[in-house]
Amino acid sequence: MSVIEYDVIVIGAGAAGLTAAAWLAEQQLRVALVTAGEPTACLSTGCIDVCSRSEHPLAGIAGLPDGHPFHQVSPELLSRSLDDFRQTMADMDMPYAGTLEINRRVLSAIGTFKNTCLVPATMQASPQSDAERIHLVTFTGLKDFYPGYILSRFPNASFSAYDAGVSTTMGIAANFEDGAFLETFLLWLERQKIRKDKIAFPAVLGLESAFSVSKQIESRLERPVFEIPTLPPSMPGRRLFNAMKDHLRRQGGVIYWNWPVIGVEKSGRQVEAVTTEAQGRPNSLNARAFILSTGSFVGGGLYAKRDRIVERVFDLPVFAPENRDDWFEQDYFSMNHGIGRAGIAVDDAFCPLESPWNNIFVCGSILARTETLKNGCGHGFAIATGRAAARSCLERLR
Amino acid sequence: MIKTDVIIIGGGATGCGIARDLALRGIPHCLIEKGDFAAGATGACHGLLHSGGRYAVSDPIAAKECYDENMILRRIGEKCVERTGGLFVRLPGDSKLFRERFLRSCDDIGIPTDILSSTKALELVPNLNPEIEEAIRVPDCSIDPFRLCLLNMKTSQKKGGLSFIRHKVTEIVQSHGRCIGVKAADAATGEVKEIHGNILVNASGAWADLVARLAGCEVPLTLSKGSLVITNHRLTDMVINRLRPSSDGDIIVPNEAVCLAGTTSLAVEDPDALSTQSAEVDAIIGEAGRMIPHFNKARIIRAFSGVRPLLKSQKMDSREISRGFQIIDHRNGLYSIVGGKLTTFRLMAEKMVDTIMNAFNLKRDCETADQPLDGQEELSGYPLSKRLADMKNILCECELVSRGSVENIIQETGTRHVGDISHRTRLGMGPCQGGFCTFRALGVMHDMEILTPQQSMQSLREFLQRRFRGIRYALWGDQLREEQLVEYLYLGILAMEKTRERH
Repeated sequence: MSVIEYDVIVIGAGAAGLTAAAWLAEQQLRVALVTAGEPTACLSTGCIDVCSRSEHPLAGIAGLPDGHPFHQVSPELLSRSLDDFRQTMADMDMPYAGTLEINRRVLSAIGTFKNTCLVPATMQASPQSDAERIHLVTFTGLKDFYPGYILSRFPNASFSAYDAGVSTTMGIAANFEDGAFLETFLLWLERQKIRKDKIAFPAVLGLESAFSVSKQIESRLERPVFEIPTLPPSMPGRRLFNAMKDHLRRQGGVIYWNWPVIGVEKSGRQVEAVTTEAQGRPNSLNARAFILSTGSFVGGGLYAKRDRIVERVFDLPVFAPENRDDWFEQDYFSMNHGIGRAGIAVDDAFCPLESPWNNIFVCGSILARTETLKNGCGHGFAIATGRAAARSCLERLR
Repeated sequence: MIKTDVIIIGGGATGCGIARDLALRGIPHCLIEKGDFAAGATGACHGLLHSGGRYAVSDPIAAKECYDENMILRRIGEKCVERTGGLFVRLPGDSKLFRERFLRSCDDIGIPTDILSSTKALELVPNLNPEIEEAIRVPDCSIDPFRLCLLNMKTSQKKGGLSFIRHKVTEIVQSHGRCIGVKAADAATGEVKEIHGNILVNASGAWADLVARLAGCEVPLTLSKGSLVITNHRLTDMVINRLRPSSDGDIIVPNEAVCLAGTTSLAVEDPDALSTQSAEVDAIIGEAGRMIPHFNKARIIRAFSGVRPLLKSQKMDSREISRGFQIIDHRNGLYSIVGGKLTTFRLMAEKMVDTIMNAFNLKRDCETADQPLDGQEELSGYPLSKRLADMKNILCECELVSRGSVENIIQETGTRHVGDISHRTRLGMGPCQGGFCTFRALGVMHDMEILTPQQSMQSLREFLQRRFRGIRYALWGDQLREEQLVEYLYLGILAMEKTRERH
């Protein structure tokens, strides 16, 4: 068994884990991030939801119920972590727009508006009302985008379809990375004689270069262009994840990709190492502290057995409704399902309550009482708690 | 006003079977169903075409009917019947006495049996519990109840029979003490149709008493709720029964890409207020797991309940009540046909139509047992290859349903309901339970410009709510994970409008 030693090991590669790892690496710590695979961030819209169920994110946070983990992040730290996020993304040529002062609207693929705080620049021009004059461009055979949803809600919308020769989101996005394809496409687009104020695309304008692709379309067609987030596989989510991952590497962080944690080595009140399985053999990764950011159920941090909910890496105590019948309400749309509150309860330092170990810190959607969907606490919450847990971890190490 | 000879109330297997029989005997008719075809007990069962073995000991008459009908249906409906064969497995501790009685009864009735050693049985079904003592092979089959109803209706439609789905009978029109017609309200528009006929057949299953009361009559029924669970893939290619007196969770049936296991038996009052309990789900999994141990680890994608409409009897346990059927002549032009089971639906229809022919004083023999079901030439038995050929436009990856077939259904039926498409194509019946493909199916309707935003939101909301009722009691493990993803898709990414703001 090989043994490698770090200051901090972050488990989980979502927005929380990547934020925590990158910030600690920036503070000159030896940081490794282990992940079982792609995070759920890749399924997301790429939008940074801070607290989307209210018009004002900060007021929304203030109104969250007592015990919500967001109350453990000061407004200053939240603001600083989002500023840093925006700076980082701009440096990675994937700028974000928006402000903590007010939520903005993003047009969804069924023609409704989603509230969010920061948006990728490719969604900045998203209409703020259904009265706007937009022209939709879709792609023949693309099965995760149906212009009819939006056309039926927008009286001033028109559409045309381009045959890209492929019908998957990934396939079309890959085509946009090719200059020759883009040029042919632009010539076709010019011939469409679009008279509307804005041009809309499903979010397929490139794997990584969507910002530059959308800028080129804007300058050739002389009007704003925006992307509409689609169902997974979601390009904006993937771009966000890739940019954050590259940023971590630039800060000197190491990423162990496809290394699921299968065991824990501990001594007294300390976790000393996690064992991961990769390349057909166990590897032990030692560290002085561990940050758990493995996500909720979809991410795989929590797992529901038939009679109880477990945390998968450290088997930490899980805060959850005890009885399986209380995990869900009868009304699907109640947004109040008990399962949404399940997670790891933490103290002020983001250390798990009632844990036998004192060098574990927890952040992101695995935190108890988050209720991601009900409160609209998405990536913004992950980034803020990731930063806060990392800071607490650094203080502990010093 | 519409005039016809026979009005059939109920679009389950019985009603559809009666429509086909009437069509073949040249009698004009009109079928009215308040939901979709197969929406009641027909669609909420194992999909088991009984060999009769299950009832051989307790009810030899019903068992004989099952066996005979099994032989007929596998002949006339080969595209909706899968000849899986079935096993009755005996586990350690199961009564040997019952085994003897089972074999003797099957023998008396004429159900062929074949005694297999546990080794031989495990060769046939490798997932079986290796501890079984032995297995007895019987000619069980699995049957697709949705397809069965639709194929029966094909004949009716071909011969000019009328049918209205999503129409609820709100009134039975009477004149001089006789039932002469019905008023039926369109669920979508509220529009009321008045349909007159000479004879009314109440084939509404668990709702039979409610319908009969519209004419001031009664149908004494005992409603028995049975719950079932569905796995996300086939754990066995044969029907597996437990060799013991009927009890909870003792039947597992493979159907298309999945397996169904059940059932339970609990008396209920209201057929419209069914709910599945977690305890039932756990009990079924526990029992099914004794026959096929992998069941304990299998991914359950759905748990649901149906109601068996049984003839009222003094016996306390509803499993002891005869599965036989009865035709009740209310002596006012209304007949109710109750009891029976999916396997014997054709026989029930035959007897019902014989009664009608008698009342009309007409003579023409039943042909439903001799003629193959119409419309099967268009179906391949398990049309995987056909569906794969259309792979480029697959909307539902779990069940391989193409955009073309979805468009056809929408055009043929004019439906705005995702559920109707599911019944006819299996769209949304796989592991994600419609999580991804519902958005697509509604997207196709939008692109065909037949939906308003309000209708699509309504349809989506109804679909998700109904879907949730089906999965609510089987949510843990990977299925819970999938469910959380689907919730995120619709409420997070697609920003579905909320019905109401909650404070």
